[in-house]
Amino acid sequence: MARRYDTRTTIFSPEGRLYQVEYAMEAIGHAGTCLGILASDGIVLAAERRNTNKLLDEVFFSEKIYQLNADMVCSVAGITSDANVLTNELRLISQRYLLQYGESIPCEQLVSWLCDVKQAYTQYGGKRPFGVSLLYAGWDHQYGFQLYQSDPSGNYGGWKATCIGNNSAAAVSMLKQEYKEGETKIDDALALAIRVMSKTMDATKLTPDKLELATLTRHDNKTYIKVLPVAQVKTLIADHEKKEAAEAAKSKPSTAS
Amino acid sequence: MYANPNSIINPSLWPNGPAPGCFFNFPGTSVTSTSSKSGIITRTQSPVTTGTSILGLVFDGGVMLAGDMLGSYGSMAKFRSIERIIKVNNSTVLGATGDIADFQHLKAIIEQKVIDEDCADDGFTLKPKALHTWLTRVLYNRRSKFDPLWNTFLVAGIEDGEPYLGCVDKIGTAFSDSKIATGYGAHIALPLMREGLEKKPQMTKEEARALLINCLRVLFYRDCRALNKHQIATITKEGVTIENNIELDTNWEVANFVIGYE
Repeated sequence: MARRYDTRTTIFSPEGRLYQVEYAMEAIGHAGTCLGILASDGIVLAAERRNTNKLLDEVFFSEKIYQLNADMVCSVAGITSDANVLTNELRLISQRYLLQYGESIPCEQLVSWLCDVKQAYTQYGGKRPFGVSLLYAGWDHQYGFQLYQSDPSGNYGGWKATCIGNNSAAAVSMLKQEYKEGETKIDDALALAIRVMSKTMDATKLTPDKLELATLTRHDNKTYIKVLPVAQVKTLIADHEKKEAAEAAKSKPSTAS
Repeated sequence: MYANPNSIINPSLWPNGPAPGCFFNFPGTSVTSTSSKSGIITRTQSPVTTGTSILGLVFDGGVMLAGDMLGSYGSMAKFRSIERIIKVNNSTVLGATGDIADFQHLKAIIEQKVIDEDCADDGFTLKPKALHTWLTRVLYNRRSKFDPLWNTFLVAGIEDGEPYLGCVDKIGTAFSDSKIATGYGAHIALPLMREGLEKKPQMTKEEARALLINCLRVLFYRDCRALNKHQIATITKEGVTIENNIELDTNWEVANFVIGYE
């Protein structure tokens, strides 16, 4: 039936679908969750770390969060090797712009450039699309803090809060309920990120080794990108659990009778 | 005649594909070719129609550029209404010394850049320092291929609220300063500009204009490739104004004292 139309990316199916692109998005749906939240004074990126094997030699500081340039950071969901090619290219694009113009590339221009490349892989060449979705968090002097999401089709959008990867739909609907535009500061965003991640991640209990958190903020005309240290993540998780316990105690009146 | 044994032993694993970690070369996109032909081809090494000095001066609240409107064809004063100072956008102005054809080539490219920016409509406009950096990269890369754009450029404008004045030459040497002059101006006008700035580091617009006009007059007296018809560009936070066809009154009475001049 439709099997005949899904082996090559460059052709439509009779129903007008690009199966390879959809299969790529399916692959991402099985990958570790990534979530981004825009606050009035910065941006939070949270990512679920899947490679928690103790035998892993800690070569990387972060598994899913990559700094792209002085003013942008991204997190990836999907096939890791594809993600590495794309983040490398994003960094090269940023540096080429910096060399040519002596200033940082505007956020949307970087996202747009990479998305044009991703789209080309769905239309020319007979190569498969990249099985990666990315969340980009960045700052520029025109639009301030921005959060973008891109997917294998080459489509991108600007978001106030969004999620990609495993259980992303559930996370996005949670964010829709709980995100307060204009009233969210970085600490609120961090707390919200933990709340959402705890509900959407597979693990029964959140531990710092399974969660990566990064923030992007501005002080004194400079952008600061920080991947939170384990101790800070631990504290945030502890705060979250305390709050959860308090709420549970409130809603469940004393059963002692 | 016989099949190449290498192709049997090491068949291409990845025919026509991208190198691992690199991108596939899509048809129709510009490819920076890394394969170099043997040797370097040297092209024309001398300019044809040229412009002489351009002067640039930072004053309190802005920058001013001045230059004459002559395109010299060797020793012939052939084109006498060439605009060597152009407005790039509301915060940037560019002036050129040297080969006019090379300047016009870059002018077209820069104008296209401004149009592309307009199309992108994302609020970002080319700033003077960014233009200066871009020009430096272009000129240096051309020089490295032994095919220079035979010009010296002055980029002037307002960068983040502050006046900016930068210079790049045909070999890619770039710098920025509060007073710059190219061509003969560097030898004749720059000392006058330095003196003026030392006396008053924060000149008013009128004082800067007077100083530049005086320098232009001296250059007309002394530079054999100068014309008594000038452009003056002023860039402030309010925007860009370029005045054309400014003629200066000159006094040639001293010529009577030159022995042999009849």
